[in-house]
Amino acid sequence: MDLTGTMLRAAAARPRVLVVCMPGGAAVRMAAERHLRLRDWPPATTPAQADLLFVAGPPCAYLHTAVERLWQDLPAPRARAHVRTADGVLAALDAARARLASPAAQREQEPPAETDSRQPQDRRREQSSDQDGTAGHAFLEEAAKDGERGEEPSPDRSNGRYTGSGSAHSSLKQHHGDHGGEEKRGDGGDAHEDHQGHGGHGGHGGMEMPGGLPMAGQGEDRDGLTLDRLHVPLGPLLSDWPTGLTLRLVLQGDVVQAADLDEEPLVASRPVESFWVQPWLRSAVGEAVGSGEAARRRAAARLDSLGRLLVVAGWPAEAMKARRLRDDLLDGAPAAALASRLERLGRRVGRSRTLLWLTRGLGVLTAQDAQAAGVSGPAARADGDVAARYRQWLTDIRLDVARLDDPSALDPAEESPRGRWDARQPPSAALVGLLPQLLDGTELAAARLIVASLDPDLDELAAHSREGAARG
Amino acid sequence: MVEAGAWWTLLAAPALLLGFAVLAVTADAALTARDAGRPVTVSAAMRPLLAVPRALVAQPRRMPAPDRMLWRAGVVSVPVAAVLSTLVIPFGNVAVADLSVGVVWFNAMEVMTWAGLWLAGWGPNAAFSLVGGYRFLAQGLAYELPLMFALISTATGAQSLRVGDIAAAQYGLWYAVWMPVAFVVYLAGVLAFSFLGPFAYPVGQDIAGGVLSETSGVDRLMLQAGRWLWLAAGAAMAVPLFLGGGAGPALPAWAWSLIKTLLVLAALVAAVRRLPVIRADRYVEFAWVVLIPLTILQALVPALVNVNR
Amino acid sequence: MNGFAAALSLLGVVALAVAGVYGAGWALRISSEPLEAAPFESGLEPVEHAVSRFHVRWYTITMLFLAFDMEMVFMYPWTLIISAMGPSAVIEMFVFLAILLSGVTYAWREGALRWT
Repeated sequence: MDLTGTMLRAAAARPRVLVVCMPGGAAVRMAAERHLRLRDWPPATTPAQADLLFVAGPPCAYLHTAVERLWQDLPAPRARAHVRTADGVLAALDAARARLASPAAQREQEPPAETDSRQPQDRRREQSSDQDGTAGHAFLEEAAKDGERGEEPSPDRSNGRYTGSGSAHSSLKQHHGDHGGEEKRGDGGDAHEDHQGHGGHGGHGGMEMPGGLPMAGQGEDRDGLTLDRLHVPLGPLLSDWPTGLTLRLVLQGDVVQAADLDEEPLVASRPVESFWVQPWLRSAVGEAVGSGEAARRRAAARLDSLGRLLVVAGWPAEAMKARRLRDDLLDGAPAAALASRLERLGRRVGRSRTLLWLTRGLGVLTAQDAQAAGVSGPAARADGDVAARYRQWLTDIRLDVARLDDPSALDPAEESPRGRWDARQPPSAALVGLLPQLLDGTELAAARLIVASLDPDLDELAAHSREGAARG
Repeated sequence: MVEAGAWWTLLAAPALLLGFAVLAVTADAALTARDAGRPVTVSAAMRPLLAVPRALVAQPRRMPAPDRMLWRAGVVSVPVAAVLSTLVIPFGNVAVADLSVGVVWFNAMEVMTWAGLWLAGWGPNAAFSLVGGYRFLAQGLAYELPLMFALISTATGAQSLRVGDIAAAQYGLWYAVWMPVAFVVYLAGVLAFSFLGPFAYPVGQDIAGGVLSETSGVDRLMLQAGRWLWLAAGAAMAVPLFLGGGAGPALPAWAWSLIKTLLVLAALVAAVRRLPVIRADRYVEFAWVVLIPLTILQALVPALVNVNR
Repeated sequence: MNGFAAALSLLGVVALAVAGVYGAGWALRISSEPLEAAPFESGLEPVEHAVSRFHVRWYTITMLFLAFDMEMVFMYPWTLIISAMGPSAVIEMFVFLAILLSGVTYAWREGALRWT
């Protein structure tokens, strides 16, 4: 009797899915979220918790290494699916389920026996770069840029800058650099003593920490205390996070000491079309677009943002309702079919005193500052904190749902989901630019809420870079 | 009076607790199915239980330089403490052992989750997990003292730390009626030490699951089970503390205990979905400035009543 | 059963159950080869060990908490003797609590209860 097989088949009826979205993959992501909800396949937020890695959208060379990283961290039984178009979601989910239920498929992916004396992480990096030479190349360039950017005098800065190196060669080099930094600094010596004997694997010179990683470095906090700090990136592949956004945080405790924006993905990602501004893009090239259709897209975009904010705020029950409304809107449901549920959501969320209490005073962005930064959408009109922004969304959604049947042609000056649409100056660019200063000194939870309340759509920027390239 | 149980209660108490926890999980799943627009059926409600076979077949996972022993100890201590807390919780007229310091025992077991969750966050050597572990400590600073004053209010009312005495002392008038503040604070405390719903701060989605973010397989099952076992234990303890235990007309004591426990559990499951996560940085101030003075005043009420008796 | 025996027996039952679940997991797992994984960092490689001296900015509250926690040690036995000792016990306890609460008020005014 194969009890493991029986258990596998049972478990495959409800796999937990880690959905990661590629630039230009918003439509696929939403199709996936919808099917997962209807099938009761719960979302996972990390590889450890996931059974299925679902990559939504066209392949992206820049994110390739990161996707491979997540995949390598998924324990068996596991399956992965890469879906490029929304139509392919159902078939991919069924295939993944079959794979998860098959003991043979799950057993044959066992990792090779340990014959290599190097640290497993280096080995993995090498493997992933073998599979995709272009990604490795891109990351080498990134590493070079990182070196140039080491402008801060603090020595542990150099540690913070080596990530996702695409080839074994560069990763070795980086290791030497790291350990050099450790030795020069001379702190963390106690930790070295603790762990001696673990290190010293072939291929590395100098001191070796377990896992090939240094201990946390130190830095001054706002009160002038010297404290340990951790370098934790938010994004690129984080659940309920703007696709393609990478913020590199320096944390002391859970306070954000600095938030650096990775510029590379904004420039390097393949040209894609932003799903949310499609009506505006089509109208710009002379197509006839109804303003009701634009209102529908805009309302759906804000429900999508609201759902994200509610998940980040730890209210999955209401987030699910917001996402259901979004899916129904995109499905073309008439306003009458949505009105009562929308009303309930507006009451429950918009009038929630608890949510107001929890989000008040976070990420204040006054109308003047917003205008000065070039923000024009709901974030500017809200003229305030996170609470003001989600309430603004709710108001806007209600207004938009009231005019879903508006037959008039779309006025290009009408607001797109994140602000006035201008292909050269997409509204999300201003939102992204505001993030580092808004996040400075906030707590990790507040930082996530602030990003979710602005919810920039980086696909807009990618579309912009394509036009820039076309212009030449 | 509550009598100490025979040997079989050693098996019955954990089994009953597990039963309540499974009921709570299925009730939550049924509500989720309703919100998601799926048919609400028995099989839909049972689906979360598939996490059990899933956990059992999982491949082990090794992190770089984890503190494996502390990690495992932390993970296991959460469900173990939950089950140990049932030692003093009477069901009907039977408890496994009606200790003379029953309330303190329950309190002590509940405080073990502080250590457990912090260790579970520390163990895997991962940033989000570490943040999650510390989040629970901050949350503990907020919920623990009001909870303790709520527990002490009931003990003061009965002038006994024996849970059976507290249940018996409520003849006619439940403590939930004349100590409503203590009752509500106690229920909030139950959600907090189960780190569910509004108190899911240490396992927040904003830090990718926090303490749960690097757990897989049986470890993950233990932590998840621990949460719901604690919810069930908290609901079961609310009955003797605030709702008169097994006392009630017509039906036998065990039936009243069952009904009351299920009602409290239902209220808690509903509350889990009603609120967003209350971050400790806001809750601490509220707890210290509002809840602690209120619960101290609440404890004064039974003290004055007893002095005049 | 006396209390100690019951508590230890219950602990034994739970320990057996937990060991049973781990044992079942050990017997049924699809692969016994542990997966070498890195901590989740949104798809990027970790740059340092996460275990560090974590900056807890609420440490002042832990001091307040400790004061109250010690107070609890007295308050649990106090509940048993209210009738026996009469009003004096109640007055003493609540005057003590009032003193502690005035400390909380001071800490609150100083902003110790907020750290963001």
